[in-house]
Amino acid sequence: MPDCNVNFEAEIEEGQNKRSVKCKFCSSVILTPATAAIMNVEHSLPLIRQTKTTEENPDTETTSVFWAVKDMFTFQNVGFSNTVGNTKYLTCADCEAGPIGFHDIPTKMSFVALSRVSHGDPI
Amino acid sequence: MAKTYDYLFKLLLIGDSGVGKTCVLFRFSEDAFNTTFISTIGIDFKIRTIDLDGKKIKLQIWDTAGQERFRTITTAYYRGAMGIMLVYDITNEKSFENIKNWIRNIEENASADVEKMLLGNKCELEEKRQVSKERGEQLAIEYGIKFIETSAKASIRVEDAFFTLARDIKAKMEKKLKEASNPPKGHQLRASEPQKKPTSWLSRCSLL
Ligand SMILES: Nc1nc2c(ncn2[C@@H]2O[C@H](COP(=O)(O)OP(=O)(O)OP(=O)(O)O)[C@@H](O)[C@H]2O)c(=O)[nH]1
Ligand SMILES: [Mg+2]
Ligand SMILES: [Zn+2]
Repeated sequence: MPDCNVNFEAEIEEGQNKRSVKCKFCSSVILTPATAAIMNVEHSLPLIRQTKTTEENPDTETTSVFWAVKDMFTFQNVGFSNTVGNTKYLTCADCEAGPIGFHDIPTKMSFVALSRVSHGDPI
Repeated sequence: MAKTYDYLFKLLLIGDSGVGKTCVLFRFSEDAFNTTFISTIGIDFKIRTIDLDGKKIKLQIWDTAGQERFRTITTAYYRGAMGIMLVYDITNEKSFENIKNWIRNIEENASADVEKMLLGNKCELEEKRQVSKERGEQLAIEYGIKFIETSAKASIRVEDAFFTLARDIKAKMEKKLKEASNPPKGHQLRASEPQKKPTSWLSRCSLL
């Protein structure tokens, strides 16, 4: 799913998320409005739905638009996977769908892929 | 950026294998994504936000694998934990009997301040029940901790349990903070308040 042609502009206000960031599958609130910064970085992420589940060689796609979060406790609800290399993958805290992004252990920064979440008003 | 929360509490889920610790940690759903990359590598912890009496509380909750057994869970594991959910399965006598061993392990390894709570999970399986509610209550009284029966599958009282534990930690913490800012004065001749153990999480914890 390429994420470059989707119109994310409407979700950005002063470089931050205008609305809540939610799980696409269960609507769990991941970030409340204005808590994360928009960032363009290329990063390959394993697909949420794998055709074959192999830990060493998962199907991946390159994702390039992220919500960057400096302090992990900024998240409203989120799951952190066990460590793989320098990374922990982020999941929905309620249905565990993921990876919705990743956490970089050396910099302690977390990144949520815009293409893997939905945006909306809190329920 | 300004802090978006008032308190951060670190919680652990402990208990025998199969009692439902992992299920308690997320809203049980039949169509959970259990054939994906994530379930292969496993979840380390979750962050959840709750509102308690007008305060924003962040819960960082660690799931543990029951097959590690109490013998192998050591001090490092409990470091920084402020609350522990002790979970047994009401349809499994052995898991209830083992709660005593888990508590002994906590007493040996965790901070004395740690707030504990007992959960009897799978309470919707009334026809398979092996441990009566009264026995759960009795054990909790014996240890001076709170008790609640839950069902992760039927979403019964799971949120209550986390709210109750968080509320007790918050109350304990606010009491300690108050005592620290208003030391008892006047004509009391008592030598001194008992010293806080240096291993206490409260001594490392500041009001955020
Ligand atoms: N009927 C019923 N089944 C439950 C409930 N909670 C969990 N289970 C089931 O119990 C089994 C074990 O649940 P887990 O959450 O994996 O148990 P655990 O305590 O994490 O086990 P370990 O990870 O091995 O320590 C699973 O098949 C769940 O579907 C419940 O409230 N009711
Ligand atoms: Mg488990
Ligand atoms: Zn979800």
